[in-house]
Amino acid sequence: MDSVANGPKVYFAIHTPWFTINVTQTALTILICSILLTVLALIIRRGLKKRPGGFQVVVEKLVNMLYGLVSDTMGAHNVRFAPYIGTLFLSSMICTLLGMTQVLRSATADLSVTLAWALVTTGMVWYNSIKNLGFKAWLKGFTEPIVVMTPMNIVSEIAQPISLAFRHFGNVAGGGVLTALIYTSLGGLTSILFGWISEAFSLIPFLQIGIPAVLSIYFDLFSGFVQALVFSLLTMVYVGAACPPPAQPEVANDSE
Amino acid sequence: MWLEAFTDKFEAFVGVNPFTMLFAWVNLLILYFILKKLLFKPVKKMIDTRQKEIDDMYSDAEEAKTSSEAMRVEYEKRLESANEESEEILKRAVRRAQLREEEILREAGVKAQRVLERAEEQVALEKKRALNEVKDEVSEMAIGIAAAVIERDVDKGEHEAMIDDFIKKIGSE
Repeated sequence: MDSVANGPKVYFAIHTPWFTINVTQTALTILICSILLTVLALIIRRGLKKRPGGFQVVVEKLVNMLYGLVSDTMGAHNVRFAPYIGTLFLSSMICTLLGMTQVLRSATADLSVTLAWALVTTGMVWYNSIKNLGFKAWLKGFTEPIVVMTPMNIVSEIAQPISLAFRHFGNVAGGGVLTALIYTSLGGLTSILFGWISEAFSLIPFLQIGIPAVLSIYFDLFSGFVQALVFSLLTMVYVGAACPPPAQPEVANDSE
Repeated sequence: MWLEAFTDKFEAFVGVNPFTMLFAWVNLLILYFILKKLLFKPVKKMIDTRQKEIDDMYSDAEEAKTSSEAMRVEYEKRLESANEESEEILKRAVRRAQLREEEILREAGVKAQRVLERAEEQVALEKKRALNEVKDEVSEMAIGIAAAVIERDVDKGEHEAMIDDFIKKIGSE
């Protein structure tokens, strides 16, 4: 590792007359993440029994929690979004955790990925808003509550995916950078503190053992979980707001 | 179009690679369908099926309990009525037996009375006959005695009339 603030490694580039495609480490991480989740799903699908074993109980509990969370946040009428939210959460989780292998790089530490996911969220919001309100009413929504607010509304609409993307990206990438910084500095610290005793201490940076692991648990594991949850929750909130509960059927008003 | 491999090239730390974005989208889409089909739908379906089964079981049990309770009440009622009926039957039988007993006793009394009456009749008859026999014998004896006393053959007819008269007098005394 040359620098702690490197972007994803570029494995190869495909040059075409018009543009160049850089195939990076991120793509590999995403691929591995997809394969892992597919295998996991296959294993669960094969072992599914009416009388569940211990593993299935855990899986069922988690799936139930997901559906409960979606119906609590978005309303019971929006439960159909639960599989997407679950996919998003699991992808985010695994893509972040794969960075802990040190062989791969967290895919969520690449802005391209988080921006892609955030744009999906925004796309869903816009699609559902237009579907539920109609195109004109949706455009008119930008001028509310007063016309002067229009630029602000447009900015906030554009800021939404950007803030989503940068929040996730920044947390994971920052965590990785921080872990790498501490790891490197602990090596230097070992030789500064104990280097005068013997030359061997500068060769064996024993302070690097243990301490980075604890930090990694916070920055990679915990932060990864929290960011996946935050991303999924915000997606739920935005899309849920675009899908209000269906209007109650009007009570027949038989006057006269 | 050509390929170029790198060993030591990095992208910018903060940057957007359109190809990576496309790759992320495609993967998310594929993963969404795979997980939906293989994980979320089947697991959710399994949970719901089991939940429904449990609900059914509970409502069935509730129903069975209610019906068994109703049956119990009905059986108790029936048992009570059966008890009453058996008591009634017993009472009726006892009454009939009593009636029959009385009848038998009465019949026996009547029969005994009749037997007694007949016996008395017979006794009276026997007595009368015995009396007649005695009368006859006494008259003959009297005649014999008288003949011996008189030692003469008197008019038998006259004597007999006289003796009969005599006996009648005795008999009526």
